[in-house]
Amino acid sequence: MMATLPQGDHPLLLADKQSMCYCPGCSHAGILERLGHVLEGMNVDPHHVCIVSDIGCVGTADRYFDCHTFHGLHGRSITYAEGIKRVRPETLVIVLIGDGGCGIGTAHLVHAARRNADIKVLVFNNFNFGMTGGQASPTTFPGGTTGTTPGGAVDRPMDICQTVIANGASHAARVNATDKQCASFMEAALRAPGFALVDIWELCTAYFLPRNKLKPTMLDDFAKSLNMPMGLLRDAGRPVMMGGTASSVPSTNARRATAPMAASHGAGVASEEPKTFPWSGRKEIWIAGSAGQRIRSAAGLLGEMATVGNQHAAQSDDFPITVRKGHSVSQLIVSDKPIRYLGCDHPDLLIVLSEDGVNRLGDLSKLPATCRVAADASLALNGLSTDVIQFDYRAMQKEVGAETAAWAMLVRMIVQIGWIDAEALRAAANASLRGAYRDKNLAALNTAIEMTGNQS
Amino acid sequence: MREFMTGNQAVVRAAIRAGCNYFAGYPITPASSILTEFVKAFADGRGTIVQTEDEIAAIGQCIGAAMAGAKALTASSGPGLSLYSENIGLAQMAETPLVIVDCQRMGPSTGGATATGEGDVMFARFVSGGGYPLPVLAACDAATAYRLTIDAFNIAERFRTPVILLSSKDVALTRQTVDLGAIELPEVADRSPHDDGDGWRGPYAVDQPADIPRFAPIGGDTLVRVTGSIHDERGVLTNDRAKIQAKLTHLFEKIESRAEELERFDADIDPIAETLIICYGGADGAVREAVATMRERGEAISRLTLYTLWPIAARAIRDAVTWRVRRVIMPELNIGLYADALRPILAPLAIESIRRYDGGLISPETICEQAGNEAIA
Repeated sequence: MMATLPQGDHPLLLADKQSMCYCPGCSHAGILERLGHVLEGMNVDPHHVCIVSDIGCVGTADRYFDCHTFHGLHGRSITYAEGIKRVRPETLVIVLIGDGGCGIGTAHLVHAARRNADIKVLVFNNFNFGMTGGQASPTTFPGGTTGTTPGGAVDRPMDICQTVIANGASHAARVNATDKQCASFMEAALRAPGFALVDIWELCTAYFLPRNKLKPTMLDDFAKSLNMPMGLLRDAGRPVMMGGTASSVPSTNARRATAPMAASHGAGVASEEPKTFPWSGRKEIWIAGSAGQRIRSAAGLLGEMATVGNQHAAQSDDFPITVRKGHSVSQLIVSDKPIRYLGCDHPDLLIVLSEDGVNRLGDLSKLPATCRVAADASLALNGLSTDVIQFDYRAMQKEVGAETAAWAMLVRMIVQIGWIDAEALRAAANASLRGAYRDKNLAALNTAIEMTGNQS
Repeated sequence: MREFMTGNQAVVRAAIRAGCNYFAGYPITPASSILTEFVKAFADGRGTIVQTEDEIAAIGQCIGAAMAGAKALTASSGPGLSLYSENIGLAQMAETPLVIVDCQRMGPSTGGATATGEGDVMFARFVSGGGYPLPVLAACDAATAYRLTIDAFNIAERFRTPVILLSSKDVALTRQTVDLGAIELPEVADRSPHDDGDGWRGPYAVDQPADIPRFAPIGGDTLVRVTGSIHDERGVLTNDRAKIQAKLTHLFEKIESRAEELERFDADIDPIAETLIICYGGADGAVREAVATMRERGEAISRLTLYTLWPIAARAIRDAVTWRVRRVIMPELNIGLYADALRPILAPLAIESIRRYDGGLISPETICEQAGNEAIA
C-alpha cells in the first residue's frame, strides 16, 4: 500500500487556483486544487505519487504538483502510466487527461481497463479542444457549436464511463465539476483498486461557453437526456492482476547479478572441441512438402546436431501464414566451416515429400546438375534433367510414424548418398538429441539407417 | 556454448544479459518471436512482459517503465516503427534510455512480411519530427544481433537515448549456429545515478552540451519531472531562449560530437587493395564470402562492415579508404539508400551500388561479378 507521511509535512500542491494558468471560470484550476487537497488529506508520500498529464490545457497541470510528474504525447498518457505503475507498484499513478485525449487514446483507455491496469484516470471533459481553439471533440454533445461544427454537432458523444465499464474497469464515476461531491468522487477513485476513472464534466469558458450559451447546471440535464447519468457507475473492486507483472521489479543491478552468463562476459573464446558430428564441406539441403509434415523440425534436428557436434548450420523456412495448410519448405546449410552467407542458392540435395512441395518449387530446370533429387514416387517434377531417387513416403510414415517421417527421410538420404557415416551419425544423435521427442527421433533415425542398409 | 538459434532469440538472450527487465510489444512478422521468447524468459517473474493493444502502447509503456528505472525493449517491423515514430521523439526529448529492435521486411507498407529487406536505414535515423539524431545499429546475423543488443543497451544507458537496432527477416528468423562464448562482449553499462556525487540540479542538468544528465527514476526518493516538451534542467517548461538553445544543442551534441564513441564496425583491409566493399546488415555474409573467394584467386580486396549506421562511422570509413582505393562497392538490400548517405564522405570517389529489393539476398557471386567488372568511368 501507499506509504504515508504525517499530514502537512510535504504539501503536494504548489499553487492555489487563482495563480494557475487557466481562463477565468474554467474549472480546471478548481479540480486541480481539490485533487491536491485530496492527496494531502490521504497523507500520501509525494515520492510515491506520479502525475501523468496528457495534452491540451490539462497537459499543463503537472507543474502544480510537487511529486513525480510525466508529461508526454496526446492520448498516450495511459500507456506511460501503465509502464510506470508496473515498475513502481508502490506508486499511486494518476492520469490527467482531457476529452480529446480520451478520443485519440481510446484504444489505450479500453485496453488499460480490460487489463485492469492499476492507474487512476481523471478526465477533464469540457466537450471541445480548448488549447487548439475550440474544435469539436469526441464528447461534444448533439447541437454543440464548435469551430468545426458551426451548425451544431450531430454525432453521438462518446460515453467515456461506459466505454471503460464495458471493458472491465474496476471503478468509474461521472461528476459535474461544480458538484460539491467532486472531491470525494476523486478520492474514491484514487483509493479504488485497479483501473479507476472519473469523468468530470466542465465548461470551457474560452470557446465552448461563448458559443453555446450554457450554464454549469445545465450539464446535469444534458447527462440525463444523453442517458449518461452522473454518480458512481461502477465500484466492482475488481482484483488487480496486472498480467505478467512481477510483484516488484528488482533494481537492474540486482537483476544482472542473478542473470545467467553474467560471470563470463567478454569471453571471446571460440570452442575448439573436436568435431563430433562427422561432416565435411558445405552442403545445402532443401526439403519441400506440406504443412504438418514436420519438415522444419526435421531440418532443425540436423542443424542442432551439427551445432552441438561443433559443425555449423543455418536453416531458413518458407511457409504460408496459414501454417496448417499449403507448402512447407526448409533450406538447411550444414558446413564444416562457419557459414557467412545465409542464402541457400545452390542445393546439393532436394527432398520432395508432397504435391504442395512440387508446386512451391515450380520449374526445376535451373537446379544445379550436381544436385541430388529424391522424391516420393507418386510425384511428377517439372523440368528436371537429373535422375530422381524415388522413395515411398507413405511406407516411411507407416514405418516410423507421421511425426518423424520427414526426419527419417532426411536421415536416410544423407546416409544413402554417403555424406555421413551411419554409425557416426547414430553416435552423434545419441549424444546430442534432446527434448520430449528424443526417443521418437532416435527410433526413426535408427529405422532410417536400417533401411539404407537393406537397400545397399 | 554453441546454440542453433535465430537472430530474434539472440536479441532476447542478450537483452536479458544486458539487464533488460521490461518488454512490451505487439505481434508482427518477423519480430513476433522476440515477444514470445520474452514471455518464456520472464515467466519466472524476473521481468515484466506485456502484449499491448498496439505498437504505440508498447513503446509508451516502455518509456514509462524506463523512466521509472527499468531497462526496456520493444520490437517490431517497419510498419510498427512507423507507429513508434511520435514516441521516439518523446524518448529523445525526455532523454529516455530505450532499445527498439526493427526486424525489417521487404518494401513499404505491409510489403512482404516474410521476405527480407533493409529499407528502414534512413527512416530509422529520421524517424521522428525535429531532426535530432539517435544511434542506429545494424545486425548481420544472430551472433552480431547478440553482441549489438548489448551494445544498444549500453549506448541507451550511457547516452540516455533511444537506440534502434536494425535486423531483418533473414537475420531475425534464420536459425544459425552461434558460439556464444566466442562473441566478444562489452561490459554491461548502466545509466549514471543521480546520487553519484554532489550537486544534483535536476533530471536534465548538464555542464557541457555533450554531457549526459544523471538519472533519477520516477518513484524513487528524488522527485523528478519528465517531459517531452521543451524544458529546463529541472524538467520545467521553459520559454527562455538560452535554455531552449542549450537543451536542443545538447540533444544533438551528445550524439554527434561523440560519434566516435558510438562507432561499431569490422574492418578487413588489404593495404594494397584498390577496391573496398562497404556493407552492413544482411549483405555482410555474402561480402565476406566474396572477399574470401577473391583473395583465393589472388585478388586484393578490402571490406568494411558497419555495425553503427547512425551517426555515420566517418572515422572508420576514412581509415578504410587507403590512398590505394579507387573503387567503393556497396551492396544493399534496398534501393541504394545508405550509399546516398555516404557519398558526401567518400567524394570524389564514386560508390558503385549493388541493389536488391525483391525479398532475396545479394549473393557472393553478384558481388564478385561487380568487383570483377571494370569500374564505370
